[in-house]
Amino acid sequence: MDLFGSYALLLAFALAIYAIVGGIAAIITRRPLLIKSARNAGFAVCALIWLGFGSLVYLFFTDNFAMSYVAEHSNRNLGNLYKFSALWSGQQGSLLFWSFLLSIYVFSALFSYRGKHPELMPYVGVVLASVQLFFLTLNNFVASPFAVLALPGAGGVLHLASQADGHGLNPLLQYPEMVIHPPVLYSGYTGFTIPFAFAMAALIGRYPGEKWIHLTRKWTMIAWCFQSAGILLGAHWAYAVLGWGGYWAWDPVENASLMPWLTGTAFLHSVMMQEKRGMMRVWNVWLVFTTFLLVIFGTFLTRSGVVSSVHAFAQSSIGTWFVGFLIVIISACLIAFLKNRDYLRSDNQLDSMISRESSFLFNNLILLVACVAVLSGTLFPVLSEAIRGTKISVGPPFFNRVNIPIAMFLLFLTGVGPLLAWRKTSMESLRRNFGWPLLAGVVAAIVAVAFGLREFYVTLCLMLSAFVTFTVFSEFYRGARVISARAGSNLFSSAAQLAMRNTRRYGGYVIHFGMVLVFIGISGTAFNQDKQMDMAPGSVMGIGPYTLHLQNFDSDQQANYSSERATIDVDKGGKSVMMLYPQRRFYPSNEESGTMVAISSTLKEDLYVVYAGRSPDSNLPVIHAYLNPLVKWIWLGGLVVVLGTILALLPNRQAVMVMSPSTERSPVLGGDGRQPARASISARSQLPKD
Amino acid sequence: MSKRRRLALIFSAFVGLASAMLPLHVDAQKTERGKVIGTKLMCMCGCGQILRECNHINCPSSAPMIKEVDQHVASGEADDLIIQDFIQEYGEKVLSAPPSTGFNSIAWYIPGVAFALGLGIVLTIIRMWRQRDVHRLASASAAPIPPATLDSEVKNVQLERARQQADQETED
Repeated sequence: MDLFGSYALLLAFALAIYAIVGGIAAIITRRPLLIKSARNAGFAVCALIWLGFGSLVYLFFTDNFAMSYVAEHSNRNLGNLYKFSALWSGQQGSLLFWSFLLSIYVFSALFSYRGKHPELMPYVGVVLASVQLFFLTLNNFVASPFAVLALPGAGGVLHLASQADGHGLNPLLQYPEMVIHPPVLYSGYTGFTIPFAFAMAALIGRYPGEKWIHLTRKWTMIAWCFQSAGILLGAHWAYAVLGWGGYWAWDPVENASLMPWLTGTAFLHSVMMQEKRGMMRVWNVWLVFTTFLLVIFGTFLTRSGVVSSVHAFAQSSIGTWFVGFLIVIISACLIAFLKNRDYLRSDNQLDSMISRESSFLFNNLILLVACVAVLSGTLFPVLSEAIRGTKISVGPPFFNRVNIPIAMFLLFLTGVGPLLAWRKTSMESLRRNFGWPLLAGVVAAIVAVAFGLREFYVTLCLMLSAFVTFTVFSEFYRGARVISARAGSNLFSSAAQLAMRNTRRYGGYVIHFGMVLVFIGISGTAFNQDKQMDMAPGSVMGIGPYTLHLQNFDSDQQANYSSERATIDVDKGGKSVMMLYPQRRFYPSNEESGTMVAISSTLKEDLYVVYAGRSPDSNLPVIHAYLNPLVKWIWLGGLVVVLGTILALLPNRQAVMVMSPSTERSPVLGGDGRQPARASISARSQLPKD
Repeated sequence: MSKRRRLALIFSAFVGLASAMLPLHVDAQKTERGKVIGTKLMCMCGCGQILRECNHINCPSSAPMIKEVDQHVASGEADDLIIQDFIQEYGEKVLSAPPSTGFNSIAWYIPGVAFALGLGIVLTIIRMWRQRDVHRLASASAAPIPPATLDSEVKNVQLERARQQADQETED
């Protein structure tokens, strides 16, 4: 069983080569049997990767410490949940996990379109198999998770060895969110491979029309949704585990996940221009290419050690492989574009400057500038070192200063875009659509200032948030009112009907509203407070309206760790409102410590308490308390974004005219004087169940 | 031994044990000025966090650095001087943001230049597309109406096409 996974991956590697070669031959010869054979090879590659992954899962759950990777990242006392998450805690396992998730996408895409789009799918199969081949090369020959432990014996001959127990999992990863966050984020990263494959295939195969855009839209949205959720789960993990009171540190690895999200968001907006107006074909293809390139680039940043980060994997030579792959992708994109650029020619026309089209252009500009700002800030230390020989730091103060104005502009466009009509917006329409939202924004700003708010960006953020929220709700209200008047249903059910009739549009509005919540949550950072104190049992610390009474310390011994726990009674207005139990844990298997932060979270604020260690002066436990306003809004916003994306992915329910018995009194009565039974077309529309 | 004394002994023993178990030492930033300066400096342990926020477990750098900041503040030194002292000790990488002078100022210019460049491109594109639209309208109004368009069947087809286009364009 030890080597089963290894053989499965080797076979997958060989079959991926066949899927590429067979696929190319099928494209050239157009022989149906060859097309089918290459596609089946694609299926087989996926199945073999699943077997390889399943084999690694088995090795972890059977504590097979003869395997180097298992011994390094697990131990006997590790809980089953964490044995599973230990799979992706190291370089080798996470790369296999990457292949595993990619294979799910590849299988789904090949299976969904089997027998459809015969002009396009062979190209898609070849591109997908090529990406898989790269990762299988890493899985097999560069960073195999199936390496066995060996010790040098007499004469330097290596003998197989096994350890009694493993080193265990990094304590920072022994947190429930770490079981979810990497799979979700990786699902985002790997998901962008599908739109890339379709874009490349459409370009090389000169697939006519905008069909590939329709085909990839849902894949892009799925990947985008996972990426958004993954980023926010990562932020929540950092907040709950790292114990520094924040959720986003502009760390290179965090930035690496944000960059493809920004370009992916730009694509999801600009793609509408291609669908509606056949515009921006070149731009859209390059946005998809760039997003995929940023995915690979982000993976390179995380795994090469080129930038320093607490989240990065250990420095290794694997970066060279990613650089090579990036060069291959860029070359392939450039060659495909230069050879087929006439295919992308479109007759772009703009009727008016004040239109949905121009708002999308500005939206794309802002998202791309944000991406450039993040990229340049992330790479500037490397550039500085290469040119001047001295490394500098580019930390949160830089990123905040540069990105906050950009984010405000983006928030403004989030409100403006949906209110503008395609082609041209009349002045009357502008007045009608913008009047109330603008007023709502101004009122929000005045109220904020009246309540003593003086921070410019926070006031601006609240004003724009009110503006966007009002635009979103007014869009729902206007549509729902019409349905309500026609169908006689209440406004809420009418709004639900409205959303189901055009899921993409109203799903988009829900996503915008979710982003507003995220922005409001982030703006709370301006009012963060913190206090740190050496506390003996019985001592008291005040922060904001809360008073923290340290009652005592106790210890606990679990199978995998021992912990020291502080019991803190929290008072507010003289009344005890809650008990908090911040912990420090010690993991003997790898002799590392970790924090378990105690958080009391409300919509207004989070009381965040860390048992931070011991004071070198007093040797007393140090309690660090933070009062972070509005943080919960970020996580709620993330949830709304996910729900909005799910709504946007649902198929539209069309309004249909139904035949129903009329209830109106007929002017002509039957012979018996009763209303004649007759069918009439009712003005009421019904939504089909499916 | 009284109950209270026994409890005190147990607690002391526990604290001693816990000290050995949890070797981390932290130090609080003493003053508000110290906190502000702490946000302008990076922790030098390699965690990539700003000094004030580093609580990296067993961090060898943050506690002594925070202490150093507080000592400078206590001696009444100006913020700039304190930061200069740190630059001399650790190099420019101790700053949490690149200085806005010399080569490092490029970092600050890049986003602005990207925005200006992008804005220029977007405005040029909009102008170009607008001109195309003007030409299209001009040529459409100059072209004679073909007799076929008068035919009601053709008119209906065109009308239907226009409806479909309107539907498509107003869907989202």
